[in-house]
Amino acid sequence: MLRALASGDRHIGELAAPFRMSFAAASKHVRVLEEAGLLRRRRDGRRHMCRIEPSPLAAAERWLRFYERFWNSRLDALEALLKSEDSKGSLK
Amino acid sequence: MKAAGQVIRITRHFDASPERVFDAWLNPQTASRWLFTDPKGKITRCEIDARVGGKFLIVDTRAVGDVDHVGEYLEIDRPRRLVFTFSVPRYSPQQTRVTLDIVPSGKGCELTLTHENVLPEWTEQTQQGWAMILGALEESLHA
Repeated sequence: MLRALASGDRHIGELAAPFRMSFAAASKHVRVLEEAGLLRRRRDGRRHMCRIEPSPLAAAERWLRFYERFWNSRLDALEALLKSEDSKGSLK
Repeated sequence: MKAAGQVIRITRHFDASPERVFDAWLNPQTASRWLFTDPKGKITRCEIDARVGGKFLIVDTRAVGDVDHVGEYLEIDRPRRLVFTFSVPRYSPQQTRVTLDIVPSGKGCELTLTHENVLPEWTEQTQQGWAMILGALEESLHA
């Protein structure tokens, strides 16, 4: 969906078409992207126009933050695993 | 502009010996329980050839399908340092590099993870590059 938006602004209906998804499903998708700050929506008459939001720099920031969360959650999992092994008294 | 922004560095303390923390990355039985799993996923393949030049393949089966995590070990210095390349082809062709430095600390150890080359340079110039990265991010948000 964001790939389609990269080539220009699109209406929600246009975004849904290539994925054979319903308008409602596409709207939900758009909302998630909007909340993540990746997309901006504006009214165009009765329709909503969507536009890719982040400047390249903001996008880079998000990508880095994505990996940062990824590693933090992995290290949380490692910590939990080591603790559970400790409580079982194995592999000291 | 890029310099420091392209590197992720995370430091953690563990109440476990450097050896245990180090081995958790290379022992397939242990790694498959935590390393590249998603809370909604399940590790269906975990192959680790733990030697310099050896490769790893860890497959997490999620709702979106199989997500492969692949890489090659560049440096193995148990229990101090582990360096490997890392990529998730489903989300990005970019080959990144992960370095783990483990030092004893108190009764446990401190691990510093450095993730480099996270952002491909060409993405700075091309809109296509960004579309690809954002497409991957989008997929991960829905995963």
